[in-house]
Amino acid sequence: MWVARVAEGYVFGGLLPQAVETLKGVPMLLESSDGRVRARLLPETFEEAEAQETWQRHAVPELERLFLSRAQLVRRDLATMRKMPSTDQQVLLIPDGHVSAWLAALNAARLALFEMNDLEARHMEAEGFGGATKKQQEALLRIHLLAEIQSVLLGDFEIDEAGSLDDLGID
Amino acid sequence: MPVSSVSCILGERVRSSGRLARMSVRAATKEKTETKAKPKTSLAPPWNVIVHDDPVTLMTYVTKVFRTVFGYTEDKAHRLMMEVHQSGRSVVWTGAREQAEMYAQKLQAHHLLTTLEAVDA
Repeated sequence: MWVARVAEGYVFGGLLPQAVETLKGVPMLLESSDGRVRARLLPETFEEAEAQETWQRHAVPELERLFLSRAQLVRRDLATMRKMPSTDQQVLLIPDGHVSAWLAALNAARLALFEMNDLEARHMEAEGFGGATKKQQEALLRIHLLAEIQSVLLGDFEIDEAGSLDDLGID
Repeated sequence: MPVSSVSCILGERVRSSGRLARMSVRAATKEKTETKAKPKTSLAPPWNVIVHDDPVTLMTYVTKVFRTVFGYTEDKAHRLMMEVHQSGRSVVWTGAREQAEMYAQKLQAHHLLTTLEAVDA
């Protein structure tokens, strides 16, 4: 995977089929009805039952609507992914105006994968990888891939300026 | 793309244990016999917005969210993030309940594990 900064936003290229599949899973994870995922994305906020009930009635539906609208935005960007000439790799543009939504969606997807695969804190360490099951290891690889994309969007890496999409030779 | 190790907030989740105090604003005026008593006001307790550690969320993301939601400086946001990371939780804001709820909702919108608790009188 390579990354470039263009006038329109961030370009992620050289995306292999597994990376593409992982990215396409982001909106679905955000919309997941899995109880473990929902408990993490919509956590209990108050200890007192009555206050929590009120929170559940008023704040939670707004959060759910926000998550859904984010999932739709991410899905629209993913639909614009293009195949790179003569490879099975793809390229994704994340427009600057969508970075904030993507950051949150990627975080939600990583949390969802963590919960759905019964991962623990120790698994997130390099030493913990070997102790995970094959299914958990696959989830961990996806979690780390999404973290790399998140890190780029957070400005944790220095990214080459490429001018525009045309300069990259992408239609 | 340069590859760097993924820094995560590590540690166990800690549930808030603060006792919830009910907000009660009493601004009643009582008339005692023929003299007017001064209005009595029992101020509602302030509320803490608490962010808890989780092993997945990136440290730089937490810092960015604190800056976005509260408008904190980079230094303050980083210090609070480190407190979450090292102590398992951090009180990131204290004040009126309504505003605390608004902040909690914003933090949860970014998927930070957030709870609210009343400050014990």
